Amino acid sequence: MIRRWLPFAFGAGFLVWVAALVMLAMTAEGPQRFGEFYLLILLVNVTGVVALVVLIGGRLKDFVRDWRRHVPGSRLRGRTLLMFGGLAIAPLLLVFTFSVTFLTRGIDSWFHAEVRQGLTDSLELSRAALDMRMREYLERTERIAGRLAGLSRASLYFALDDELRAAGAEEFVVTSAGGQPIAFSRAGLLHALPAVPPEELLMQLRRGQPHVSLQPAPGGGYQVRAATSIRAAPGEGGRLLVATYPVPQRLSDLAATVQAAYQQYGQLSYLREPLKATFVLTLSLVLLMALLGAVYGALYFSERLVRPVQDLIAGTRAVAKGDFDTRLLRASHDEIGFLVTSFNDMTKKLARAREETERSRAAVEAERAALAVILARLTSGVISLEPDLRVRVANQAAGNILGVDFSASAGRPLAEVAAGQPLLAQRHEVLQGRFEAGETEWREQVTLRAEGSRRELVVACTALPGDAGAQGLVLVFDEVTQLLQAQRQAAWGEVARRLAHEIRNPLTPIQLSAERMRRKLMRGLAASEAELLDRSTQTIVQQVEAMKQMVAAFSEYAKAPDMHVSEFDLGALVRQVSDLYHAQDSRVAFGLSLDPKAALLEADPGRIRQLLNNLLTNSLEALDGTSNPVIMIETKRVGGQVALTVVDNGPGFQSGQLEQAFDPYVTSKPKGTGLGLAIVRRIVEEHGGEVQVDNAPQGGARVRITLPATAREARRAEARREKA
Amino acid sequence: MRGRRWLLAFAVLAGSAAVLGAGAQNPGRFQVRNAYVELVNGVWRLDVSLDLGLADAARRAFEEGVPLVLRLEVEATVERRLLPAREVASLTLEWQVAYDAIAERFVVTDESSGEHVSHATQAEALEALSRVSGIAVADTAALPDGKRFDMRVRATVEVGELPAAVRLLLVWKGWSRTTDWYAWKVRP
Repeated sequence: MIRRWLPFAFGAGFLVWVAALVMLAMTAEGPQRFGEFYLLILLVNVTGVVALVVLIGGRLKDFVRDWRRHVPGSRLRGRTLLMFGGLAIAPLLLVFTFSVTFLTRGIDSWFHAEVRQGLTDSLELSRAALDMRMREYLERTERIAGRLAGLSRASLYFALDDELRAAGAEEFVVTSAGGQPIAFSRAGLLHALPAVPPEELLMQLRRGQPHVSLQPAPGGGYQVRAATSIRAAPGEGGRLLVATYPVPQRLSDLAATVQAAYQQYGQLSYLREPLKATFVLTLSLVLLMALLGAVYGALYFSERLVRPVQDLIAGTRAVAKGDFDTRLLRASHDEIGFLVTSFNDMTKKLARAREETERSRAAVEAERAALAVILARLTSGVISLEPDLRVRVANQAAGNILGVDFSASAGRPLAEVAAGQPLLAQRHEVLQGRFEAGETEWREQVTLRAEGSRRELVVACTALPGDAGAQGLVLVFDEVTQLLQAQRQAAWGEVARRLAHEIRNPLTPIQLSAERMRRKLMRGLAASEAELLDRSTQTIVQQVEAMKQMVAAFSEYAKAPDMHVSEFDLGALVRQVSDLYHAQDSRVAFGLSLDPKAALLEADPGRIRQLLNNLLTNSLEALDGTSNPVIMIETKRVGGQVALTVVDNGPGFQSGQLEQAFDPYVTSKPKGTGLGLAIVRRIVEEHGGEVQVDNAPQGGARVRITLPATAREARRAEARREKA
Repeated sequence: MRGRRWLLAFAVLAGSAAVLGAGAQNPGRFQVRNAYVELVNGVWRLDVSLDLGLADAARRAFEEGVPLVLRLEVEATVERRLLPAREVASLTLEWQVAYDAIAERFVVTDESSGEHVSHATQAEALEALSRVSGIAVADTAALPDGKRFDMRVRATVEVGELPAAVRLLLVWKGWSRTTDWYAWKVRP
C-alpha cells in the first residue's frame, strides 16, 4: 500500500520543493519577500531533508548489508551508485558555488556605496534645508522675545496671541526660568496645558545659549522648537520663550521620506551579513536536499538497474544448479528485457535438451542394465578395458573363471588388479604382450596354471570402436577345461570300450587254447619240454588273466553309470574297507578320523566302495617300499557336503603329474593301468561331487573328495555345475 | 571507542556554542529593579523601574537605526483554594524607541497611545524608558474587595522590524531578552 502511494508522495514532494525554489528565487527581490517566504522555504527543505535522510538511511542499510554479504549485484550497484552520485554531485556543487556567489553579490548590490552616499547626501540636504528654516525661526523667536521683554503677565497673553498669529507659529509658551509655564498661546484648541520644557532645553538656556531643535511631530512630519530668554522687567524673575513652529508640509514629508529611507537602509545594512548567511544557509539546505535527492535517486535507480541483473544472476545460478524451469519476468523492453527474453529462451531450450538427454540416458541406462544382465548371465567372462588397460567393467563370470573379485576394480589398472592373482596375472602378461605389439583383434586358447590346477581358456580380444580411434578393449573368454576334460574322458571311454570289446573277446579263446595245449601236450613231452610248455602256458594264462583284469578295468571305466542310491553309513563302509586292506597288508597302519555327523551318506554304496578300493589300492601301491607306511582316512561334514580325505605318507605325486592325475593311462607305477583316479573322478562326478589331488604339507599324496550328503544336495550341485 | 568519539564531538560542539554565545551576548543587567502599585482615586496604578542592559547585538542594531521595542507584561491574580489562581487583570504595554536621523533625536513612542517623546541622546531615551509610572492596572471593582492579590511584571526588550526568518535563525545573537517575573503581593 505504501509502495503504491510512494511515487505520488515523491511527485508531490518534488513539486513542493520546486515551488520552494521558486519562492527562494523571489526572495532575492527584497527583504520583504524574504520575510514572507523564508519560513515556508525553510520548512519545506528541512522536512525534505529529514524525509530523504530517513529514506536514504533505509536504502543504504540494505545496500551495506548486501555489500557485506557479497550479494550478487551489490558490487555493480555500488559502482552505479558512485557513478550516478558523482555525476549528480559535481554539477550540484558547481551550481551551488555559483548560486552563492550570485546571491551574495545580489545582496551586496542592495548596498552600493553610491546608494548610501545618495541617502547620506539626501539626509544632509534635508538637514540643511531644515537648518535654514530653524535659524530663521530662532531669529524670529529672539525678535519676539525682545518685544515681549518687560511685559506684565496680564498683557503677556495678548501679546503672545498677536505674535503667534504674526509669526505663523503653532505654540508660544512663556515660562519661568525654572520652566514653569506663565503664559502660552496656541494655534487651534487649547485643550491642554503646555508641558514643561525638557531639561536639556532649560540647561542650554541657563548656559545663555538659545535653543533650536527639530522635533518629530505627533502626527508625522516635523516641528521646529526654538527657545530663548526674555529680558526680565525690573523686579521680576527671568522668563523663557519656547516657540513651536510647523515645518512646511512639503518639506516635512520629504524629510520624513528621507528619514524613513535612511532608517530602512541602515537597518538593511546592519542585516546585510545575517541576510547573506541566511541565504547561504537556505541554499545549503536546498543543495543538501538536492544532493540527498541525487543520492536517493542514485540508490533507487541503481537498485532498479541492478535488480534485473540480480534476477539474471539468480537465474543463471539456478540453471547452474540444474533448475531449468527458472523463468524471469520481463519488466522492460530495453536491452535488459531482451537479455531476459534470451535467458528465458535459453532455459526453455536447456529444459528441452535436458528432457531429451534424460530420455537418452534412460535409454542408455536401460541398454546398460540389459547389457549388465546379459553380462551377468553370460557364462563367458567379459572384461572391458580402457585404452591404457584400466578395468572398465568385468562381469561375474570373469571373476569366477579367473578367481578374482572385480567388484572394486573399476578404474584400476589391470596390472594392479592382477597383483596376487596368478591366473589374472598370466592373462595380463599375455594381454600386455599383445597390446604392446599393437594387436587388438585376436583369438587364442591359453592355458593358465596355478596351485596345481590348470585352466584352459579360449580368449577373444577386440577393440571398441570410437570417434578418436580405439576406445578400449574387450576381452571375452570361456573356460574350456571341463569341456576338454569331458572330451578327453569321452575319447578315453570310447577307447576303453573298444579295447574291452576288441581285446576281451580273443582273450578267453587264447586262455582256453593255452590250457588245452598244456593238457594235450604235457603227457607226450619229455620232462624238460613239459616243463617248458607248462611254464609257457602258465605265462600265457597269467598274461591273459592280467589282460582280462585290464580289460575289466577298461570296461568299468567305460561302463555307463548305473546308480543305486541309498542311504548308508559312510564311516562303517570306511572301516570295513580299511579293515579288509589292513588284513591284506598288515604292515600298513590305517588312521581313521570319522566325523559322526558325516556318518550318513545318500549315494551308491557300491560305487563308493569301489572309490575307496581304488584310493586305498593306489595308496598301498604307492607305499610299497615306504617304511612305517600310514594311510589316514578322514570324513567330515561341511554344510550339506561330506568331505572324504585320504592321505598317505608315500612319495606323493611327482611334478607334472598333478595336472594329469585324473587322465586315463597316466600312472607312475609299472603295473598300473592309470585308470584308478580316472574312475574315482568319474564316480565323484556321478554323485555331483568334486575331487582334488595334491601333496600333503608333511609329504605324501592327498586326495580330497567332497560329496553331497543327500541326493537333494547332489541335484543342487549338479544344477550349479550346469549353470556354471 | 565509538561512544567516546561521539562524546568528544558533543563536547567540542557544546564548547563552540558556549564561546559563540559568550561572544554574541553581553550579560548587561536587564531586570525589573522595582515595581509597586498604589491606589489612586480607586485605580491601582503601577510604577516600574527597569535596568535596561542591552546585549551587544541589540545595542549595535539600535545604534545603526534599528528600532528597539520594550514590552511590559503585567498580570494580577487572586489565589483560590484547590484551584488555579484566577487572573483578574492582564496588561501588555509596548514602547518603541527609534533614532530619527533628520532630527538627530531618539524618539520614544507609546504604541498604545501613539504619543512620543524625543531625546537628544540614547542614554536619555533609555533612561526615560526605564521608568514607567502611573500605569492604570485595574480599578478596585475588578479586584476582590479587601482581599489580597498577586501582582507580577516582566519586561522584554527586542530589536523590532526584523524579518522573522532572521529572528528565527539568529536567535542566539541576543536580539531579544526577557526578564524574570517580578512578583509581589498586594494587601489593600
